Amino acid sequence: MSETALFIKGVDKFYGPIDHGVHAVKQLNMDVKKGEIIALLGSSGCGKTSTLRMIAGFEAVSRGTIAMKGREVQTFAPVKRNVAMAFEGYSLYPPLTVRENIAFALKASKLSQSIVDEKVANIAKLLEIEDIMGRYPSSISGGQQQRASLGRALIRNADLHLLDEPMGQLEPQLRALLRGRIKHFIKERGLTAILVTHDQTEANALADRIAVMEGGVLQQFDTPQMIKERPANLFTGTFVGEPPMNVFSAGISGTGDTVSFGLNEGVKLDYKASDFSHEVRAELMKRSKVVLGIRPYAVRRSEGGVGAKVAVNQWLGDQTHIATDFAGGTMVLVEHDRTNLAIGENVGIRLDPSSLHVFDGESGRAISHGQELA
Amino acid sequence: MTTLQLKNIVKRYKTNTVLDNLSLDVADGETLVLFGPSGAGKTVLLRLVAGVIDPEEGQILIGGEDVADIDAEHRGIGMAFQNFALFPHMSAFDNIASPLTATNATKDAISAGVHKVAKLLKIDHVLSHHPKALSNGQKQRTALARALAGSPPLLLLDDPLRNVDAKLRFEMRLELPRLLAAQGATVVYVTQDYKEAMALGDRIAVMSQGRIRQIGTPEDIYNAPADIEIARLFGDPTINLLDVTPKSGPDGVYVELSNVKVALPGMPSGVVGKPCVIGLRPETIAFTDASAPGAIPVTVEAETPLNEKTVTLVLTARGREILVSRPAGTPGPVSGPAHIAVSGQAAFLFDKESGGLIRSAATPMTCNGEAA
Repeated sequence: MSETALFIKGVDKFYGPIDHGVHAVKQLNMDVKKGEIIALLGSSGCGKTSTLRMIAGFEAVSRGTIAMKGREVQTFAPVKRNVAMAFEGYSLYPPLTVRENIAFALKASKLSQSIVDEKVANIAKLLEIEDIMGRYPSSISGGQQQRASLGRALIRNADLHLLDEPMGQLEPQLRALLRGRIKHFIKERGLTAILVTHDQTEANALADRIAVMEGGVLQQFDTPQMIKERPANLFTGTFVGEPPMNVFSAGISGTGDTVSFGLNEGVKLDYKASDFSHEVRAELMKRSKVVLGIRPYAVRRSEGGVGAKVAVNQWLGDQTHIATDFAGGTMVLVEHDRTNLAIGENVGIRLDPSSLHVFDGESGRAISHGQELA
Repeated sequence: MTTLQLKNIVKRYKTNTVLDNLSLDVADGETLVLFGPSGAGKTVLLRLVAGVIDPEEGQILIGGEDVADIDAEHRGIGMAFQNFALFPHMSAFDNIASPLTATNATKDAISAGVHKVAKLLKIDHVLSHHPKALSNGQKQRTALARALAGSPPLLLLDDPLRNVDAKLRFEMRLELPRLLAAQGATVVYVTQDYKEAMALGDRIAVMSQGRIRQIGTPEDIYNAPADIEIARLFGDPTINLLDVTPKSGPDGVYVELSNVKVALPGMPSGVVGKPCVIGLRPETIAFTDASAPGAIPVTVEAETPLNEKTVTLVLTARGREILVSRPAGTPGPVSGPAHIAVSGQAAFLFDKESGGLIRSAATPMTCNGEAA
């Protein structure tokens, strides 16, 4: 099908001696297709920035290979990789204005002056930096520098665009609009982009696929929808999703016709055996302890449901967040309308089996998502 | 009874007026959120109430009593400020216990009190650590715990969740109201996050440039923002704002978006011909069929999921950008031509020149979830 833009195979990164130093990235395998937007998502220290820097050529690869367009590049200097970057510490040239900084990225392209001017004007409009184009980097805010640096990277026709926290400092009122514009810009030109972010909102908004990293290990590499619907493990399940997934430790029991989860404080969730496939039931019955997960928007209120008590009801304009006391913990519900529930009110909670994620109580690996095996 | 009243407060730094004749009443047990951009004067206001600085003019009353001659430590206030201000030589436990050690509480009672609040704030595992061994989020929660530990009748909280990661921030947003309600304290809470403001505030005071621009319940402000700036501060994605000039037709006042008439029911005819800005919240715009009445043709530029919503950037024939938001999982176009329906009922109209609200949405959501 489509061409592979980047192929990472068996990559390790050690800071310090190989096998003895700090193991920042562990046996990473990843492929990026031409025209894809990929997000490396994780908290600080997860290995995402080390990965990006290895792709850029700022960090040596300790082990493994990185190939671009079918050619191994891990020993190449950054300038030989035809990669455009918007990085922290890969800053704007101080003696040049913002306009000159952005236009400088097109210098090697030998485009006519009028085409350069037009491209620069377009990107300035897209990123809402038209009013600072004549200014010098030292006289503009951090957020403006970030946008100028992003403009300098996006304007190039590189094989790969590497963007480190590209929108972190942007004022919130502009974020949704700029996300839409930037995604459109990248897609329309068929650019391949890898962005590093700790902000799952940004990753979900922009990326075709998200690589979730933790402890130097790639936890899951999939589309935002699959990560939401089929998280590979408890880490991914609870890390991605806002508000976070509700999780409860549970014991399992069952007969031929039923599957029951026993939660704290004697709360029991009873399901028909037919709510789960044979394979799922077989896997569940092998275990005594699991973790149940359900996303806040999938929790339903229903009169015959399990009892819960409303503790907090917060309306945010376009949605309502409700926290209930449930099975010795907190069950959060998200509803898209304004919900009229008083604090202390008792409600019934229904956890639809099709929305239920079950994780192994020991390893945290996903066992099932709804009816199906993970 | 702990009420807080500020009467005609003026605070200047040299020639710079940072609080400009500001008055504010906070009821007993109320959580009032001060919301606004940095430099609005929020923190200065807290520091005045705390007694760290004094106003040039005006009066501050706590529980009905003028506190001009009362020192900071005798005002009965619990504080958590942005810069933590923890005692560096003391463990997190001792920091949190510090307001209690000054009282006659027994050692066991102090320990129980510290552990209770530390557990709620999820720092019970780091109580033995000194501040330098704590992450910023943990420092902030330690400062918050210290403010809460003494059960003061008045709490001043300056952006206490600022340095906390997104997940914990969300958890704390749900935990804090319970904690505050259990204490029964009167709270003044500063934040720059509108979701936090709406979630925690009984009322929100929107501040900018040393003044309160609007004060009201979250419903008041979301459904009837006093001006364009305030409308832009509440909502994610941000409200769509489009220049329009209302016209008059046989069915009343309308505006045109891409040559499609959008009726504004109940709009006074005085706005006809006046340069205005129409405000359309992304969640009130829907995709529709080409044949539907009032369908506006657009081109889909990009789809960007946002939490449990799908946000779509569309372009009208005239190149105006509009953000449309719908619950995730509901169908909608991903690219190419499409049509949107705009509800005149849900539209805000602002005066273009002054930015002031002319009319709020005719059918705002009320507290009861019913159309007003």
